[in-house]
Amino acid sequence: MWNLSPAELAIVLLSLKVAACCVLVLLLPAIGMAWLLARKQFWGHALVDALVHLPMVLPPVVLGYMLLVLLGRRGWIGRWLYEQFHIQLTFHWWGAVIASAVMAFPLMVRAIRQALMQVNPLLEQAAQTLGASPAKTFLTITLPLAYHGVLTGGILAFSRSLGEFGATITFAGNLEGETRTLPLAIYSLTQSPEGDAAALRLVILSVLVSVAALLVSQWLERRLLRSQR
Amino acid sequence: MLTVDIQIHQPYALTSPLDLHARFELPAGRCLGIMGASGSGKTTLLHSIAGLLMPSAGVIRSGDSLWFDHKQAVQLPPWQRPVGLVFQDGRLFPHMSVEQNLRYGMPAVLARIVLPEVVDILAIQPLLKRKPSELSGGEKQRVAIGRALLRQPSVLLMDEPLSGLDDQLKQQVLPYIKQVIATFGLPTLYVSHVGDEVAEVADEVFMLAQGQLRQVVD
Amino acid sequence: MKKWLCLGLCLISVLAQAEDKKIKVFAAASLTDVMNVLVKQYGQQTGVQVVPVFGGSGTLAKQLEQGAPGDLFISADEKWMQYLKDKQLVQVTTIKPWLGNRLVMITPQNKPLTIKAEASTDISQQAPGYWCTGDTLSVPVGIYAKQSLTNLGWWDKLKNKLVSTQDVRATLSLVERDECDVGIVYASDAQSSSKVRVAGEFAESSHVPIVYPMALLPQAASETAAFYRYLQSAEARKLLLSYGFKPLFND
Repeated sequence: MWNLSPAELAIVLLSLKVAACCVLVLLLPAIGMAWLLARKQFWGHALVDALVHLPMVLPPVVLGYMLLVLLGRRGWIGRWLYEQFHIQLTFHWWGAVIASAVMAFPLMVRAIRQALMQVNPLLEQAAQTLGASPAKTFLTITLPLAYHGVLTGGILAFSRSLGEFGATITFAGNLEGETRTLPLAIYSLTQSPEGDAAALRLVILSVLVSVAALLVSQWLERRLLRSQR
Repeated sequence: MLTVDIQIHQPYALTSPLDLHARFELPAGRCLGIMGASGSGKTTLLHSIAGLLMPSAGVIRSGDSLWFDHKQAVQLPPWQRPVGLVFQDGRLFPHMSVEQNLRYGMPAVLARIVLPEVVDILAIQPLLKRKPSELSGGEKQRVAIGRALLRQPSVLLMDEPLSGLDDQLKQQVLPYIKQVIATFGLPTLYVSHVGDEVAEVADEVFMLAQGQLRQVVD
Repeated sequence: MKKWLCLGLCLISVLAQAEDKKIKVFAAASLTDVMNVLVKQYGQQTGVQVVPVFGGSGTLAKQLEQGAPGDLFISADEKWMQYLKDKQLVQVTTIKPWLGNRLVMITPQNKPLTIKAEASTDISQQAPGYWCTGDTLSVPVGIYAKQSLTNLGWWDKLKNKLVSTQDVRATLSLVERDECDVGIVYASDAQSSSKVRVAGEFAESSHVPIVYPMALLPQAASETAAFYRYLQSAEARKLLLSYGFKPLFND
């Protein structure tokens, strides 16, 4: 009763794999975009800001459909990927990663941007007089001082990915072992006549995984706080 | 030798519109004191020399190196100018230890040679492993001075380095500044609104008022 | 104030009464096209408005179980009708097999393929890409498909590449978009789309007979019985045949 069947374990591991990759994939783009929005003034700033936040406002299924149009096998970019490299993102766990990443991107950007805006630009000025180029200043002063934003953003993205359903099922599809993450597995089971008990097991599992993720993130936060002191 | 001949025109400055004209030469081993009321543009002047601001016109030259020339559209960015700027509020990096702060502006190879001397002169040896949040005001300023020195600058710029300290601390830190100036012989600009301070430290004193830099003869 | 309250209540009661004139039919997704036409014709003839709700039979059954308002239920397999029967959610005397269908394999129109539904076929070699069908645990077409695939010995070879959709129309859509290389749908669905080609057909013996039972729900409005009878009329028969279904009723 308390043992995980191999199938259940596989689903949990898939969810964790997709969520972890989602965070890794988003790290650089989110930091870059957050810095751009926090520090640079340019024409179209408001437009870029709105586009970044779009996934938070649109229904996930709509986003999934847009991904299909863009990256599906016949999509604008997907066609090129398939014809040139024989890469198909739908029905592959990378498709699930992309679906999660698109939904989680605004969350991560927001968190990092807020942290960046709290970094004293006078410190960056001081670094410049000490010979630090803008790149060195960003890496040694700005980013380290905004670390908690990156951490928060990462945790938010991870959690969002664990719970991602609409965009994933629309774009990446529901393929057992490849894209059937916890939410999709629970959905499949609730649709079948005798699946309620199994679905409940997965629901409890989801809760446990989420709690574990939160505890790990809290521990990480405390560790980083200590090293800064 | 630092040669400065610049005009700074800031019609929208926070306190009052600024229209500044500064012209002077600063040879090695000399300390030039600049006095003036707040808002007169003392900080603006120092920041322009450091490259954080761009003057409206003129030339800034350090030895053979051209830092700023408005006519030739030369504006060397601050990280390429060997200046040591000691800010009014210290501005130590809070996430780094004192030692890491000190070493920030210089390559590691040089640090081994020069660090001990600077640490010695400023008597900050016991503070090296601490974080800036654990330091007193006077200690912070000494570390800030040390950090600027370790940049191996060709000119030392001090912007009211004692302003955040109480009288007792001021009396403590001032001798260190004099020692630093005497030992390293860097051309130094010392800015303060406190006349006595400037008089003690500087070889020549200038007054910045109504946008003009005038030598004070006493 | 009292006047507005009275007016409001009157309005609501009028609207509620207007609701009664509509019949809600919960129908399996594969019936989408033909049911829309049937409903329109019936409306023109009798003036009664019938509102169809389409979806995977399981999804619909679960919705009805949760209390969704419906008058008629048409499932794509007997299993889901039995599900509601066990929960006493249908008028048992009205359960009747209405249609039959055939199970086929389809491919995108620009990638025609011929697949013989025999155990001797090397299916991994013939169709190496992704396969799609309804969820094999809950959607009728997927349940039939799994039966056939198991029967042919193809199940183990294909199960890792078999994508689940929430109803048969979603599978059709994926094949139309060339996302899926092969889809397993009903013959009626294959017929309804010009963007797909039939690659092969599963023998009727390889799966439980495909039966679409229909039944009135306990709370069905009185007008439902007439529509129920209309669905078994000669006119309906002609239409259903033209859409690729196999009527199981006598007029």
